[in-house]
Amino acid sequence: MPHDDLRSYLEALDGQGQLLHVEEQVAPEPDLGAAANAANRLGERAPALYFDNVTGFDEPRIALNTHGSWANHAVAFDLPPNTSTRGQVEEFIRRWENFPAPVERRENPPWAENSVSGGEANLFDVLPLFRLNDGDGGFYLDKAAVVSRDPDDPENFDKQNVGTYRMEVKGTDRLGLQPVPMHDIALHLNAAEQRGEDLPVAVALGNEPVISVVAGTPLGYEQSEYEMAGALRGTPEPIAKAPLTGLDVPWGSEVVLEGVIEGREREIEGPFGEFTGHYSGGRGMTVLRVDRISYRTSPVFESLYLGMPWTEVDYLIGPATCVPLYQQLRADFPEVQAVNAMYTHGLLAIVSTKKRYGGFARAVGLRTMTTPHGLGYCKMVIVVDEDVDPFDLPQVMWALSTKVNPASDLVNLPNMSVLELDPGSQPPGVTNKLVIDATTPVAPDDRGRYGQPVTDLPETGAWIDKLSSLIAERASENR
Amino acid sequence: MCPRCADENVSELTASPVPGVWKVLRCDLCLYTWRTSEPARRSTREAYPERFRMSRADIDNAPQVPAIPELRAEARGETP
Repeated sequence: MPHDDLRSYLEALDGQGQLLHVEEQVAPEPDLGAAANAANRLGERAPALYFDNVTGFDEPRIALNTHGSWANHAVAFDLPPNTSTRGQVEEFIRRWENFPAPVERRENPPWAENSVSGGEANLFDVLPLFRLNDGDGGFYLDKAAVVSRDPDDPENFDKQNVGTYRMEVKGTDRLGLQPVPMHDIALHLNAAEQRGEDLPVAVALGNEPVISVVAGTPLGYEQSEYEMAGALRGTPEPIAKAPLTGLDVPWGSEVVLEGVIEGREREIEGPFGEFTGHYSGGRGMTVLRVDRISYRTSPVFESLYLGMPWTEVDYLIGPATCVPLYQQLRADFPEVQAVNAMYTHGLLAIVSTKKRYGGFARAVGLRTMTTPHGLGYCKMVIVVDEDVDPFDLPQVMWALSTKVNPASDLVNLPNMSVLELDPGSQPPGVTNKLVIDATTPVAPDDRGRYGQPVTDLPETGAWIDKLSSLIAERASENR
Repeated sequence: MCPRCADENVSELTASPVPGVWKVLRCDLCLYTWRTSEPARRSTREAYPERFRMSRADIDNAPQVPAIPELRAEARGETP
């Protein structure tokens, strides 16, 4: 059953042994951040964490690392927890085909149970906020779905955007929000600021797990995140109208903030330890004024630790980055077999493809860089043959070590665009990009001596089955 | 005093729901926010790491993200 809110997802994680309730009293700092950091170092079956005994707080409820392992990511998609990484990506691709799935407008959202407005709206009264990393400039909301509409086309549901953007808490009703220029909210804000207006926004905290994934998925500008969430859930996404802004927010959210990004305002923000594994530096960033807070009774605050990969954010956006790149490449080049863009949100991507003719593979690499997501990420693209699994890194290393001659297989492109958070870019936002063609040359490209590859023996498949059953027999005898 | 920029102007944002355990403070200049119960490396000027410190010049010279666009002709009160 798909989960309609965070609470039912937490129950499902618990049912699979993937939720660890820490009952002892902990300090808000550094314990909460350190515990989530530690969970990320426990491997593929790391659990989500739940804290409700934190020094100085009165009945806090804090969920961390809910997507932070392959097992958790599988539960989010209602799959068996032991589903392989590639299996999860393939299921994501299969469900994507059902886009767009209509939304369900549902009455009586639980977040309407309580609300405060105007001068009464105080973030600290509702959320048990805390710092994650030492150098962070403050406490952050880093796993919320931020909703906005195109000011030039406000009635257009498809152009309504749902995205995850980091927000620094700078006051009781004041946030600093980072709109990366490549992301849709930056387009909305740009239009509002050209018009001399504020941009109304709703911030949904503590959501069902699929919309959290979709909010970090690079969809097309006119693709609705809610209609994509419905496709991925296999049942419509329940949504409801937020009362102050009229924006559509998830029905099951724990907390909904409403307000505006103040037009043409910038204020010092950050630094924040980012998904790049580096701090962002301090920058003049937008200001979000909170005018209304709606919340479920006894709300659960969900947050996410991020730092040196891998951390929860890498699971949250890993498959979600692979699939749109795969779909966009396949639209032009059906020869593409698989895309693994799970490394730092696709700053590095690995693409496997068949070849039409010599030079084709590097064209696929270049096309990866000119997809909407590739413009801001995809700094390095490794292209491998169709029989190399891009999710099997030893195979990729084999391709790199044997199929590449640096004399002619590196395509180095100067002064390309990348998001400013890439710490290697200079100036920030500009970088060279590199295609590494690790495919076997095909005619008329006759470089190298690749005519005699060693392939698995024709009988190997049958022997895999035979050995597997012998091993299983022995295991059952030993029991 | 702000641990990060050493400015003396600090505001109290909130106090612990359980009375007297901690406060959350904010520097009015660099907007650094901290809880008084945090480790010294985050909450005192003396122990605050050099690499995370911020100066008035850092604030004044911080790049704007994203850049503020030009107003459209209509917004400037001109006929398009």
